Amino acid sequence: MTIATTTMTSKQRMLAALDGRLPDRLPVTTHHLMPYFLDKYMNGMSDQAFFDYFDMDAYVWTVPHRHDPSQGEYPDPEQGEIGFLESRRVSTDDWRVYWEELPGYEYQTVRYRFVTPKGTLSMVIQSNEHTAWVAEYLIKNKRDIDLLGEYMTAPKCDVEAVNRTAEEFGERGLVRGHICCFDVFGQPGCWQDAACLMKVEDLIFATYDDPEWVHELLKILQRRKMIYIQSLQGARFDIHELGGGSASSTVISPKIFEKFVAPYDKELIAAAHQAGQRITYHTCGGMMPLLELIADMGPDAMETFTPPGMGADVNLAEAKRRIGDRVCMIGGFDQFHYLIDCAPEDTRAEVRRCFEEAGANGRYILSPSDHFFDADPELIRAFADEARKCAYR
Amino acid sequence: MTDLEDLRQSIIEGDMKSTTSLVESALADGLEPGTILNDGMIAAMTEVGRRFEEGEYFVPEMLIAARAMQAGLKILKPKLVDSGTKPLGTVAIGTVKGDLHDIGKSLVAMMLEGAGFEIMDLGVDVPPEKFVEAIRGGAQVIAMSALLTTTMPNMKATVEAVKQAGLRDQSVIVIGGAPVTQAYANEIGADAYAPDASAAVRVTRSLIS
Repeated sequence: MTIATTTMTSKQRMLAALDGRLPDRLPVTTHHLMPYFLDKYMNGMSDQAFFDYFDMDAYVWTVPHRHDPSQGEYPDPEQGEIGFLESRRVSTDDWRVYWEELPGYEYQTVRYRFVTPKGTLSMVIQSNEHTAWVAEYLIKNKRDIDLLGEYMTAPKCDVEAVNRTAEEFGERGLVRGHICCFDVFGQPGCWQDAACLMKVEDLIFATYDDPEWVHELLKILQRRKMIYIQSLQGARFDIHELGGGSASSTVISPKIFEKFVAPYDKELIAAAHQAGQRITYHTCGGMMPLLELIADMGPDAMETFTPPGMGADVNLAEAKRRIGDRVCMIGGFDQFHYLIDCAPEDTRAEVRRCFEEAGANGRYILSPSDHFFDADPELIRAFADEARKCAYR
Repeated sequence: MTDLEDLRQSIIEGDMKSTTSLVESALADGLEPGTILNDGMIAAMTEVGRRFEEGEYFVPEMLIAARAMQAGLKILKPKLVDSGTKPLGTVAIGTVKGDLHDIGKSLVAMMLEGAGFEIMDLGVDVPPEKFVEAIRGGAQVIAMSALLTTTMPNMKATVEAVKQAGLRDQSVIVIGGAPVTQAYANEIGADAYAPDASAAVRVTRSLIS
């Protein structure tokens, strides 16, 4: 291993990896920075200050939504300040979202009601300082999806806002977004979004008991995402996240992936490419039985490559061998064991392991396997420093 | 005469309707409820576990097999009680305090039930005192799940609560979940770590026997 001579900006370096060209050195970044982590360990530092502090290759996340007044759309007047990873919701007179905080719960508990001319849907979201989750699912009866199909609005991308962000961010790194999720709580992939609207076990059972209904639901969610993707033309994003939780091999099978995930997300990826956009396909959990199925959908990158030590199954070297010449791999680093409660030498060794197993010929961005809540800043420093020493030229 | 091989196959394939009708006909044919359970249903779930461990089955196949098993058990249970057939033991299972993930916990519960254990499903976000109460209520096994590093410490808190209640020697503690490891089980003084639902059945069975 030699000391890398930096000849590329962070943006150039990560784009080289995404596009299959050789970067000057191993790009090193992280997934979402959780507000809990930044508050607890970094004195409330901003995302961008974090990247600067550790001299890492940066992302800026932005998903500005736009409404279309010609279709009777307007910004949701009930939505308060835009929170972490949230976007502006789009309302019409036929799709109004109301919310109320429910008292008497241990966690912050909010009931959302989606009011349409033919009925009201509702779901309950709870949250704590770490995360948010669904406490009551939206789909309570199968035909609830008719209201989604008929009235749910589809956000469009505010291209000008994205381009202003891209202009300001310049060469510091990548402008990253995600494909729109269901209003108030969702995931970018079609199946993954569906798994936020009903319990994933019930969704799995439905694939056996009533597959046509599952396809109907997925088509409704896909249609909305497609409208968003078609509005991305001209937006200077560098990468969008598709996928999400609940489609890993620790939750579903390759058969379900083939029948209920791939057909829908593959079309979204093709549409994104037509709109001049790149896609990274995010998978939390097991990936090894799905590697080729994911790569066959045609994403530009895949993440998170979570290792067995974190409850998943990824053998980084084998993954590189099987799909490394087709997509850029992002992730693979075990943040549970090497960003906290270990010696800096162990962190550095884990970086080297990742580079040796996945770094050959580029097409690899080192990153923790998804976000983290607890991490020792000194170990993050070792993580970034060791990565900067992993040279290609 | 009902062929138990047909029953095993219907569970392995997750065919709920066929499972219930085969259990009904086996009972009508006069087969002992314990025989139907052990040679038909538990044998089927053992095969399902084997296929999972060998990568032939994934969580969905286990879920539908467990659902078929449960449908059969619903018919069989009153007969098992009448015939004096005892469960292998009682397992109190839950996702620890602060953690709302339940698919893994539910799958383990179904697989344990399919292996012949009585299940006390405590749900998600379970505080240590509820596990302690479950032991007082007759559970011999505590099975805890956590999917977040931030909630794992509540496994340790539960082990401590069981110790403080003076019930540690009356219970076996098994833990699992994505961030959990054997080393963590050793560190907090749990009896076993199970990396997946099939292993949870295997280790629980070995600890109880």
